[in-house]
Amino acid sequence: MEPILSIHGLSVRFGALLAVNDVSFDALAGKITAVIGPNGAGKSSLFNLISGAVTPTRGRVMFENKDVTGTSPDHMLKVGLSRSFQITNLFFELTVQENLRLAAQFLEQGHGLFRPLAASTRANARVDELIVQFGLQDKASELAGYLSHGEQRRLEIAVSLAARPRMLLLDEPTQGMSHADTKETEIMIRGLASEHGLSILLVEHDVDLVMNISDHVVVMHQGKKLAEGTPAQVRSNASVQAAYFGEHG
Amino acid sequence: MHDQAKPSAQAPSASRYFTWLFFLGALVFALGAGLVGDVFFLRLATEALIFGGLALSVDLLLGRVGLLPLGQALFFGLGAYVSALVLKEWHNSFWLSVTVSLVASALAGLVGGIVAIRAKGVYFALISFGLAQVVSKVVFNTRDLGASDGIIGVPGAAIFPGLTSADPIGFFLVTLATIFGLYCGLTYLMETPFGRQLSAIRTNEHRIPFLGFDPWRYKLLAFVVAACIAGLSGALYPMLRGFVSPELMFFQVSGNAVINVIVGGTGTLIGSLYGSTLLTGLKSVVGSFTAHHQIVIGLLFVVVVIVFPRGLIGYLSPLLQRRLSFRHATGRGGQ
Ligand SMILES: Nc1ncnc2c1ncn2[C@@H]1O[C@H](COP(=O)(O)OP(=O)(O)OP(=O)(O)O)[C@@H](O)[C@H]1O
Ligand SMILES: [Mg+2]
Repeated sequence: MEPILSIHGLSVRFGALLAVNDVSFDALAGKITAVIGPNGAGKSSLFNLISGAVTPTRGRVMFENKDVTGTSPDHMLKVGLSRSFQITNLFFELTVQENLRLAAQFLEQGHGLFRPLAASTRANARVDELIVQFGLQDKASELAGYLSHGEQRRLEIAVSLAARPRMLLLDEPTQGMSHADTKETEIMIRGLASEHGLSILLVEHDVDLVMNISDHVVVMHQGKKLAEGTPAQVRSNASVQAAYFGEHG
Repeated sequence: MHDQAKPSAQAPSASRYFTWLFFLGALVFALGAGLVGDVFFLRLATEALIFGGLALSVDLLLGRVGLLPLGQALFFGLGAYVSALVLKEWHNSFWLSVTVSLVASALAGLVGGIVAIRAKGVYFALISFGLAQVVSKVVFNTRDLGASDGIIGVPGAAIFPGLTSADPIGFFLVTLATIFGLYCGLTYLMETPFGRQLSAIRTNEHRIPFLGFDPWRYKLLAFVVAACIAGLSGALYPMLRGFVSPELMFFQVSGNAVINVIVGGTGTLIGSLYGSTLLTGLKSVVGSFTAHHQIVIGLLFVVVVIVFPRGLIGYLSPLLQRRLSFRHATGRGGQ
């Protein structure tokens, strides 16, 4: 099967710190690939390198067989890769609907920029769809800053999905969520991959969730890739147990 | 249902009331001044509108994009000089001088924008300030532009057959129509995806690239639009006063425009026009008692910022909006 994303020897240095150190792996199309590892392992840094937020010191990022190393974030979305943020990154002073509309505007491909909002029919239809899909009907005209934490996390995912990317990078989507919300998010992520054929790269602290829904797991530790494989393979890997499951119980 | 994305959309919007109040009030004023044959106050009101246009351009950048332009007078002065030169040296046509000023300020806005727009926060403010300083000093020292004296003896501009800018009431109405046009164009633009993108940039610029947009382009375009509004307003100045001088580009003018915006209500757009009218009027009244009117204006500014940090319209608009929403909710909103 074709990898949709494939990274080769990716590294980034912040001063003396090699936050990501020679990491390589493939993520298959339509599958859920998880990246796990203790705090500070370099998972978010890895996402920053792939999504174009930070330029790698070394290595290559291939997306759908194109070299996209060092491509700017807005261009990464144009080639079909979107991301969410570990720390909720929304337009808190704008309404839920407006947050989604801004993101869905991408679907108009630069048309209708100077026409009334209603003319952007594709974007508006997408907003309505996402509001239902993420159960935000009652909150549509609420300011994003006034939502509960769980709702903000949901909106964060909805915003990153609005442009209909082919691949989505989710950085700790369930962080700070209640148990029930986490379960719901798990089902939602699984649905995105199985029903919508979305390729997902997932960073997640909740090991149970990762083991439940991932097709492939990459373990990072101190910037390096420690192991990779199916959830079962990773779980039984001795060095992973020592470095990761050992620490987290 | 998409209208509901507007911040205050369900009921009729309060800012619309303030818009009509302003422009209808100006028409009533013109009528009254015409009846009593006043010239002084018509000229003063025309000046208030012209500086209102400059303030409008500042509010676009400050209130919508979140950039503080401390040198916006650069484009205002540029428009004024270009207009004065066209009128004096080429042809005394209103339309020609306005068009040439507009093109010149658009080009200058593009160049200035490319220099300034990558910078954020205080750096943007300082670059904008610096650019205006440099250009005003160059103008101040250029003999062909009249150096410190500026350009005097600018003839009145022919607007329509039988109407020149020397006609106080006629030119007031033309200026009012121009500012009204700029205001309407700008409020329209703010309710398009482009305008909304500017608000998004002000709110959280960092997220924009991950939505597939390059914020730089949007900011640059906003900067050019602001330069055009300032330049067009400036183009009217020599038609009113018959001269231009380097002072038009000085910090005093840029600073007053920012004060007009803040006093009127940052981000409200219409507040810039109220602020400019209020302060121009006040300056004239206070100026007839004391030469130190800047002290009075300065004190007033401090008081407004402390007591009404959202400015006049920023304070009044939510009050009116609440009333309107209430009437709307109780079914008396006339819909
Ligand atoms: N822009 C940066 N400049 C300097 N250091 C950075 C930068 N970004 C990340 N780091 C450092 O890189 C290391 C890895 O951070 P990163 O956020 O990638 O870890 P993580 O695996 O996502 O951790 P967590 O599970 O806590 O989210 C940390 O030591 C962090 O301080
Ligand atoms: Mg992280």
